[in-house]
Amino acid sequence: MASATDSRYGQKESSDQNFDYMFKILIIGNSSVGKTSFLFRYADDSFTPAFVSTVGIDFKVKTIYRNDKRIKLQIWDTAGQERYRTITTAYYRGAMGFILMYDITNEESFNAVQDWSTQIKTYSWDNAQVLLVGNKCDMEDERVVSSERGRQLADHLGFEFFEASAKDNINVKQTFERLVDVICEKMSESLDTADPAVTGAKQGPQLTDQQAPPHQDCAC
Amino acid sequence: MNEEYDVIVLGTGLTECILSGIMSVNGKKVLHMDRNPYYGGESASITPLEDLYKRFNIPGAPPASMGRGRDWNVDLIPKFLMANGQLVKMLLFTEVTRYLDFKVTEGSFVYKGGKIYKVPSTEAEALASSLMGLFEKRRFRKFLVYVANFDENDPRTFEGVDPKKTAMREVYKKFDLGQDVIDFTGHALALYRTDDYLDQPCCETINRIKLYSESLARYGKSPYLYPLYGLGELPQGFARLSAIYGGTYMLNKPIEEIIVQNGKVIGVKSEGEIARCKQLICDPSYVKDRVEKVGQVIRVICILSHPIKNTSDANSCQIIIPQNQVNRKSDIYVCMISSAHNVAAQGKYIAIASTTVETKEPEKEIRPALELLKPIEQKFVSISDLLVPKDLGTDSQIFISRTYDATTHFETTCGDIKDIYKRMTGSEFDFEEMKRKKNDIYGED
Repeated sequence: MASATDSRYGQKESSDQNFDYMFKILIIGNSSVGKTSFLFRYADDSFTPAFVSTVGIDFKVKTIYRNDKRIKLQIWDTAGQERYRTITTAYYRGAMGFILMYDITNEESFNAVQDWSTQIKTYSWDNAQVLLVGNKCDMEDERVVSSERGRQLADHLGFEFFEASAKDNINVKQTFERLVDVICEKMSESLDTADPAVTGAKQGPQLTDQQAPPHQDCAC
Repeated sequence: MNEEYDVIVLGTGLTECILSGIMSVNGKKVLHMDRNPYYGGESASITPLEDLYKRFNIPGAPPASMGRGRDWNVDLIPKFLMANGQLVKMLLFTEVTRYLDFKVTEGSFVYKGGKIYKVPSTEAEALASSLMGLFEKRRFRKFLVYVANFDENDPRTFEGVDPKKTAMREVYKKFDLGQDVIDFTGHALALYRTDDYLDQPCCETINRIKLYSESLARYGKSPYLYPLYGLGELPQGFARLSAIYGGTYMLNKPIEEIIVQNGKVIGVKSEGEIARCKQLICDPSYVKDRVEKVGQVIRVICILSHPIKNTSDANSCQIIIPQNQVNRKSDIYVCMISSAHNVAAQGKYIAIASTTVETKEPEKEIRPALELLKPIEQKFVSISDLLVPKDLGTDSQIFISRTYDATTHFETTCGDIKDIYKRMTGSEFDFEEMKRKKNDIYGED
């Protein structure tokens, strides 16, 4: 299997090549279900209770280990473009895993899951793996979506299911780790493991602002 | 949307998305809308293939031989990025490069006497090319060395030429270059569409040839880059940049009215709601009464099941048919890409031929290009107006982009962006202004 060192991978912000694989993971779902909080809890172990619409967050990186392999997770945020359903199709490119999230205290966000699932199937890679997550499970008093309904929908869509809380740090790490496991399982099934989408290799040349040395190929 | 914004942008073409990104990064409150349910406007890549058939009113569904519809992303406007050009600089300064992957186009070719030849642009290639005779090659080589050393700020490199006064025609004469060499230098290296440049001061032409050579030096095979999944990825990348800095995006929004008071824009009405703004950016399709037609471009999208003949089976290339070769005033271009760029089903190629319309029979004008592409499996023909704003927007604060022209790269588009920026802000465009500010969170571990 191709590793980062023999691929042409070389994104500027991850110029250290201390990893074997890189997985691009997207968190998707309606506005204010807690996507960004979930990301910050996992990547930084922090939580800010006040609702702030997402501005300025592109993605965060976290490295984990699986079977002696170093896996770099690049976890992307929606940039607020989910609000009016204007997430760019370009956002889905190369994603290997999705956390599809709803808020257990918000019926509408649960009803939108089917729609987001269709988006994922339409725009992402065929082998992309999806986990359904019902967030805010600490707010039991305000719950409107039962665990059972969540589980049924996940079964129907063919996804694994978790209830979690970014605020109380319940099942956050477990969600990401399970997603990584599912991706790894899929990878070992896949024959074409040198696919750059699997190794996280950037295809083609890396654009730089440095001038290449002039051609010194004068033949006379 | 019932709010007050600094800038409202209508249309999500590349020009609009780049400007939207710059404005958001610089702290402006931006509302960006498009009447279509997808990003990109005229610079979208159409997917799935079924949508392209519908758009061009081709009866029936694509045949099974076309593969899966969603594997296709077909550009409406063919262009490449110059590896050392301004759009690449914009991508780097904004770090929109994070969202895209590129491939180097495999070759650049020029048409001469019914055949196509690889464009020589380095000394070694020039010496090996069958385009020129031996003596011609020597002279051309001298010319290339002169251009490479030329620096418009260093008179020692001029060798008696006045960059601001000497006509390019005179420079060719100085190096004793023949008509064929002049043709491919002006059209395939400097990328002029007509011969008007010959009588203009040579500085611009020399700098264009330098851009070509420096772009070529970047990655070798050709000076052109192309993004995987199609050109439509470019506006989307800049839209994400704008959104990260707080820009609000709404698609599928019918625009009912641009509200003007005392000659100045104050807002936009959509679905009965009014969003207020200080400035408006839009493409010509949103303000038909404020633009004028300056010409037409014909573009023919051709789906092929084979690489173009005599291109060494390149999976991507550009072919330039200089106007002199086919008795025209403007060049004909062909841009070809393929499944290698995730824009077509396996084994399929998309070649787009385009040129500025000169007669009442544009399809006849473009025929020399189509001859090179035969057999063509499916053709999609469009003839579109070139529209430009009637005024600079100083009074109305409505800033209108120009439609994409027949050039095969984005240099004129970037020129338009810089010009609009200057008119909106009153200050000269500076790439530094595009850089992301510190509140952008990414990476770390």
